[in-house]
Amino acid sequence: MIRSAESRATDVWRIVFSARDVAAARAAILDDIVRSTNLSREGVELAFEKHLELDPSDADIANLVAAAGDAERVTVVLSSNVFVGALRAIALARAASADVVVRPSRRDPTFARALVRAAAARGDSSLRLCENFCVASAQQGEIHIYGSNETIAEVSAKTRVKIIGHGSGMGIAWVSGHADMNMAAAALAYDVVAFDQHGCLSPRIALVEGDNVRATSFGRALHEALEQLGRKVERGTVLPAEQAEAERYVATMTYVGRVLVGSAHVVAIAPVGSPLVLPPPNRHVHIASVANAEAATVQIAPLSRGIITVGSDNPDSARTIAPPWARIARLGWMQRPPLDGPVDQRPRSI
Amino acid sequence: MIIKANLARSVALHERARALVSAFERGEPPPESRDALACDIARFQADTIDGYSRLCRARGVNITSLTCASDIPAVPTDAFKLTRVATFEPREANVVFRTSGTTQGIEARGEHAMRDGTTYDAAAVAFGKYWLARDLAPGKVMVLVLAPSAEQVPDSSLIHMCQQFAKAFGHPASQNDTFLVQDGVINLSRFHKRVATATAQNMPILLLGTSFAYVHFLDALDARVGAYGHTPLPAGSRVMQTGGYKGKSREVPAAALRRELARALRVDEREIVAEYGMTELSSQFYERTLFDAASPKGIFAEPPWARVVPVDPNSLVPVADGDVGIAKIIDAMNVDSAVAVLTEDRVRRVVGGFELLGRAPGARARGCSIAIDELLGSTRSTREKTAP
Repeated sequence: MIRSAESRATDVWRIVFSARDVAAARAAILDDIVRSTNLSREGVELAFEKHLELDPSDADIANLVAAAGDAERVTVVLSSNVFVGALRAIALARAASADVVVRPSRRDPTFARALVRAAAARGDSSLRLCENFCVASAQQGEIHIYGSNETIAEVSAKTRVKIIGHGSGMGIAWVSGHADMNMAAAALAYDVVAFDQHGCLSPRIALVEGDNVRATSFGRALHEALEQLGRKVERGTVLPAEQAEAERYVATMTYVGRVLVGSAHVVAIAPVGSPLVLPPPNRHVHIASVANAEAATVQIAPLSRGIITVGSDNPDSARTIAPPWARIARLGWMQRPPLDGPVDQRPRSI
Repeated sequence: MIIKANLARSVALHERARALVSAFERGEPPPESRDALACDIARFQADTIDGYSRLCRARGVNITSLTCASDIPAVPTDAFKLTRVATFEPREANVVFRTSGTTQGIEARGEHAMRDGTTYDAAAVAFGKYWLARDLAPGKVMVLVLAPSAEQVPDSSLIHMCQQFAKAFGHPASQNDTFLVQDGVINLSRFHKRVATATAQNMPILLLGTSFAYVHFLDALDARVGAYGHTPLPAGSRVMQTGGYKGKSREVPAAALRRELARALRVDEREIVAEYGMTELSSQFYERTLFDAASPKGIFAEPPWARVVPVDPNSLVPVADGDVGIAKIIDAMNVDSAVAVLTEDRVRRVVGGFELLGRAPGARARGCSIAIDELLGSTRSTREKTAP
């Protein structure tokens, strides 16, 4: 049976309403999510409050439906941590198919389970959980898989059905020459704190237009903003391997440039002209000065295939440095993209 | 004035470093301890490199009163990619070695500049000869290198080292007869001719190469001679194997590669010696198997002027003896760069040296956040070990 765009949009809206139900009753699952994500309780609350897309517009949903494609069946294999991402993933799958199977992340299944159950309570019988889904057993439709590029490659090797992979990525902040340092820093701090930088939209690098004095000034402002925000939204648990990478990054940047170590964050200011490096997650931001947008484009070119979003005080200027597929957002909104399709809009060849 | 004073300190430290090497070559006790020299070098580097001074302060180390080399703050290898790690101005550089390119491009290549390359050469030749050719008189071994010559790749520390070996203890030969990769391909005809010459002269061969070069070599040998073809090397020959793959060939597990090489070249597996080194260091480490019948594969010997200290990856403090840690390498030949280098390799101290356990796994970023290794690939240094 051919489903109309209207019918698909209705199904997607039902998923959104179900997410509202889950958010309203989240007290019952909050502890489980804290345990499985390693985020702090405040971090999980922040995700529910600011990063779960509960108020999309009709145009957003129409765009999502248009981007979803069409499949006999969609099996959604979810990743962990950015737990609210399950809403977008399931909405896309539901837009694409009237037969959707959801395999929640083994480590972090709580929100996805709750969402599927809430949808069932609202009468969606086309959506079901399959906790033990075996990729090799898939015979029809397509698999939407979220996770590291490595995981996607592994899954692809095990099945003959169509795979739509949503791999890893990151965000970059572009602080233009006209930015108010304190305002830009305060806004970026929200993007950094969300999900403790474990999201594929999380900013890990900030490019500051101007000289190193300006970059240092921005670094100080961000350090202060992260310190303040960190008091309200505590950082979650840092795993030993992540801690080791953090130690290494801090030692490297202490030698190479300037490092501001906060209670639960690190801001490093790189020397002029040094290659960009990706800091570890958990509230580490690598700041580099660049003379202008053109220089920024050159600077980020080696990393561009990993860039999913560019956040900036000046979105027009950001567009000039961003890879063509990247979402552009205002600082403070990098982790709040509209529910209008996949967050990752990189072409499949990237 | 300051520059002159720094130069004088550097020269004096180089002399002390080379004195350690000379004593080793003569089989004499070292004129001073590694700790004393390494701590003096650390003080010199803290006085002349702002970044190192900052690192010492940040780690709470009072460099003035330091007496134990394992307490010297280590410079992560990543720093070599992001800034100059040197006590001197660029114009004073006598030798510059660079790491292989990464997906970040040429700009991200690490650089190890030396003001006085003779210290590097002396240490490399002395310890290389000790573990690869100590039983052979100078000039009585044919050195063959599965790599291009230093003329073609002047910034490779590995090729430079191989050239030093050929000069120091190899039978005299032209560059083309020594370095067998020409125009990007292994010159198998020349290899066979050289083997024939060595066999006729009853002269052993020392074959030097990277793991990926050996994979290409074996493939070429199979293609030329037929599957499972072989070219026996003369009696007493030996093979040095170093480096990872970095996508330059299909990957073959180290043990399988060693087995294949032994079969193809008709040498004993114990005559295939792994070397562990990297561009950021001036010292190298070797498996002991050629001269120590009791030593298992995978155990690396250190020269008296270098020490591998396993440290806790979170605290960077040395772990208890026998525990696994990340390799912090004290290298007293790194006079003008970093006397202590923090690698990403997991090691454990054992009797006779250290055991190499492979690269520390990068923290896989949770969620859909990208991980460093995923973005940059696993290419790091040109000169890295072959995990046994």
